Formats: sequence, structure tokens, C-alpha cells
Amino acid sequence: MMKGSYGNARLARSVAAHRSGNFLAAFILVAVSGVAIIPFLFMAGASLMPGSDVTSIPYRWIPKYPLWSNYLRALQGSDGDWIYLRNILNSFIVASTVAFSSVFIASSVGFGLAKYKFKGRNVVFMGIMSTMMIPFEAVMIPLYLTAVKLGLQDSYAGLILPFLTSAFGVFLMRQYLLGFPDELLDAARIDGCSEPRIFRSIIFTNARPAVATLAILAFRGQWDNLLWPLLITQSDRLKTIPSYIVRYTADLTADEGTMMAVAVIAAIPVFILFFSMSKYFLQGAGVYSGSKS
Amino acid sequence: MSFVPKRRSLESRRNRWGWVFVSPGVLFFSVFSLYPILYAIWTSFHNKKLLSLKPPKFIGFQNYAKVLSSPDFWNSVRASATFCLGVFLPIFIASLLLGVLIASQKKGRRIFQMALYSPAVLSSVVTASVWAIMFDPRGLANQFLNGIMGTPGVDHRWLADATMVQISTMLVYIWKMVGYFCILFVTGIGKIPVSVIEASIIDGAGPWQRLTRITMPLLKPTMALVSVMIFTASLKTFSTQYLFTQRGAPLRPINVLTLNIYNTAIVEQNLGRASVMSLLLFATLLLLSWLQIRAAGSGEDL
Repeated sequence: MMKGSYGNARLARSVAAHRSGNFLAAFILVAVSGVAIIPFLFMAGASLMPGSDVTSIPYRWIPKYPLWSNYLRALQGSDGDWIYLRNILNSFIVASTVAFSSVFIASSVGFGLAKYKFKGRNVVFMGIMSTMMIPFEAVMIPLYLTAVKLGLQDSYAGLILPFLTSAFGVFLMRQYLLGFPDELLDAARIDGCSEPRIFRSIIFTNARPAVATLAILAFRGQWDNLLWPLLITQSDRLKTIPSYIVRYTADLTADEGTMMAVAVIAAIPVFILFFSMSKYFLQGAGVYSGSKS
Repeated sequence: MSFVPKRRSLESRRNRWGWVFVSPGVLFFSVFSLYPILYAIWTSFHNKKLLSLKPPKFIGFQNYAKVLSSPDFWNSVRASATFCLGVFLPIFIASLLLGVLIASQKKGRRIFQMALYSPAVLSSVVTASVWAIMFDPRGLANQFLNGIMGTPGVDHRWLADATMVQISTMLVYIWKMVGYFCILFVTGIGKIPVSVIEASIIDGAGPWQRLTRITMPLLKPTMALVSVMIFTASLKTFSTQYLFTQRGAPLRPINVLTLNIYNTAIVEQNLGRASVMSLLLFATLLLLSWLQIRAAGSGEDL
């Protein structure tokens, strides 16, 4: 009551100022978004041009006629042995296996840590959390030697095993499951539910947001991974997309249009994921700053 | 009376399930995190060559001495430091500004977030290859710069000149990461209680005052977190530098630590020295992670 009588004029003024400020803000955002998108437009346009048009001066953004054969040549590879197709398949195999296993293991460990008071729980938790500080770049050389010792070089197992799960994933699942009420677990137990079944039903029905976020993070991590496949694989048929792209781009005689087609093909799957599940992508980015709340 | 101990034993038996759920993780992290880091420390004190059959010999601190006295290592420290410092301010300021602007929007927040975040979705290798073509002597970057400066036909040597190639790698990284950190700021602003902002409006604070007196101070923990994350992330940069050098860019100016570690281990096959550099990088990142935890911890006090 009081508020209305003395705050109205100021509130109205503030709202008016807010509106004009808003217009400027929206304008800046549109402009910056435009700049952010330019390389995508370039990439898409250039992927349908002959190489000479990609480097023509002045550059014409829209291809004179769409050269779809660039995509065919991209998949075929410079030797015509369809090796890129094979490498794409490898990326899918590695990224999906890692997404699946990292969700499964991380939620199992997270569930154990969040819902059971067993002996040594704190040691296990602190131990796993401390490995979160170990950057991959610091252990890649000894990891490589270990993998070689285990006979994992140049194999799918070698590509996949070091990424089966992540400390960050464990942390994420534990935090999420801590908020799950214990009473519901007890109710399930009284109904005769076994512990593994309780785990299964919680993970697959109640923890979907965390599971989706983690799966996307894991999939993208592997889709993007260059350093490890570079170390562990030698033969072309086991390479994944990133090392193929490096090799293709390194060839200065390769056609620039086809090169952009190679890039677009690599980008399509993650962008399909991004457009269909953008909520979880943005959540995944926000996890760090939101994790404590 | 006997009911209580019985119940407790039932509970403790159930709690053993905890170990069952945790054990795959314990096994995994022991083999793929703990063991390698111990192995790295061991290797750093031995002269281990990649393909040599001779048993590695203990050589004390020789690897450390060699690395710390090698100009090549210090060049990499310079390259990494230049890169981190060069991308820090642009990313921090742009993502903070854009985060504040996005949070101020009522409509279209999601669209702007998605547009700005999309460069971060693209794989870093794909990003690098697209920019490598734009940096071509006849490419878009030269045409753009010549258009602004009115100097038609000049080649600015984006991937060839020692200074330009550093700027190029930074530009690629800034383009890719601003949207990502911007989302962190949007999340951080979203956590500021609405009641605080409403109270300030009722007290007559204008938008500018609200920004400088309310949003910015309350956003400090997020700022600290983002600062540390920009440093840790940019210290690990690899793909852009690797791809550019593979396409013929000079190595020295952009020979960042990760790239040097890779080359020392795989090309020169000197694992001892690669391990030393890995551990030094690890120590730096550890220090930064510690700062990050403190930053996140101060966020909890909010």
C-alpha cells in the first residue's frame, strides 16, 4: 500500500530508462551475435565452392552454383578410399561409448558416495576429487606409456579406455544425487527393492537432467579430442575426425572448398545435438558456476 | 532394546553396497589417473627414451636442470604466458559485458545465448581449420583488414609473421571462448536474488547504479571463478597451434607448452624431459585450481 504511493513515479521513470537501455543492449547483442556467426557463414558458403572461389578477391559469400560434389569428394578422401567416412564412424564409436560409460560409471560412483555411509567413503571421495586437478596434458605421456605396456596402442580400446569416466562426472552426479530424498530410497527398500534396482530406477527416471548434461559433455569431449588419438593411433583406419582434419588442412595443395566441406561434415552431428538439446549444453557450461548451489 | 543394534547392523550391511557402487570408479582412477601421475614423477628422474630398449637410468635432477636451462623451454613459457595474457582481458571483458546485456533482456535471451555459444560448440580442430582458410594470403582476413585500412592487396602474413601468427591464434581462441564464459556470467547474474534488485529499484536506483552498485559487487565470486578458468583453459591450448604449424606456420612464436611437450615426447622421443615439462605445467595448473576452489568457495558465502 505504502509502496505504491511513494514509489510510482520513480518506478515509471526507471522503467522508461530501462526500455531505452534495453534497445541499445539488444542492438549490441544482435551485432555481436552477427560477428560470432560470420565464420559459420563462411564455412557453409565456402564448402560449396571450388577452391579458387574460396580465395577469390573480392570474396563472394554466396556460391555461384552450389558445388555439392565437394561433399562427395570430402567423404571419399584424397586417395578415394573413403577413409574420412571410416574416421567419422570411429569418432561416433568412441564418443558414444565414452558418453555411455561415463554416465554409467559416474552415476554408480556418485550414487555410492551420495547414498551410503561406508567405511573409507571420505577417502574415496577426496581421492577422486583430487584427480580432477590433474590435467590430461600432465599425464598424457605416462598414460601413453601405460597404454603401450597394456598393448592398447592403435586400437579402439586404447582410444576409449582412458576416458571411461571423469572425476568431474562423478562430482556432478554426486552433487545431483545428494539432493535426492533418502525417504524415497527407504520406501523402495520396504517394498522389497534391491539396491541395484533402486540405483537403476533413480538414474533412469529421476536423474535425467544430470545424465543428459554429463552425456553431452563426454560426447563432445571425445568428438573434439585431438591430442590422445594423435598419440595412441598410427594407422589411418583408426584415426578419428580431428586428426583427419589436421592432416587434410596440412596439405597445402588440397582444395579449400573440399576442406570446408570436411569441416562442415564434422560440425553437423554436434550441432544437431546442440539445437535439439541446447538446454543441456548451456547447463553444462553453467555447471561450474552453479555447482555450489 | 535389542532392536537398535540389529537395525544398525542391517544398515551397515546395506552400506557395504556403497563399495560395490564405488569400486569401478576406484579401479578406473587408480589405473588412469593416480598411476600415470606417479609414473610421470618417476620418469622425470630417469633418462627414458620412447623406443629405446635400454633400461632407464636414474639421473636425479638432470632432466629438471636441462629443461630449466633450455632456451626452448623458456620460449614455450613465453609463448604460453603471452597467449594467456593476450586472451585474458578480451575474453573477460567481452563475456562480462555480453553476460550483463543478455541478463538485461526479457525476450530472446535464449537465442542470444545460443548464437554466442555456438562457436564453443564447434570442435577446436574444425575451428582452427576454418580460420586457417580465412587467414590464407588471399583469404577473408586480409581482405577485411585491407578494407578497413584502405590498403588493397597487402598480405598481412597472418600465419607467417612471428607476431601476426600469435595474434591469429589469440583471435581464434577469443572468438571460440567468449560465448562460453558469457554463459557463466549469465548463470552468475541469475543467482542474484530478485528481491535485492527489486529493493534497489524501489529505492530509486537507475539501471547504471544497479549495475555498478548491485550486480557487479555480487558478481565478484563469478568473476574470480571465470578469471581462473580462462587461465587454466588457455594454458591447455593445443589444437589451433598444432594445426597452424602443420599448415606451415612458424613453430617458435606459438610453441606453447602443450605443443612442446607433445613434440619433445613424440618427435624427439625424450620422455624424461617431456615429463618434467608436464609436471611443471601440472604444478602451475594445480596452483590455479587451488585459486579456483577458493573462488568457488567464496561463492558459497554469497
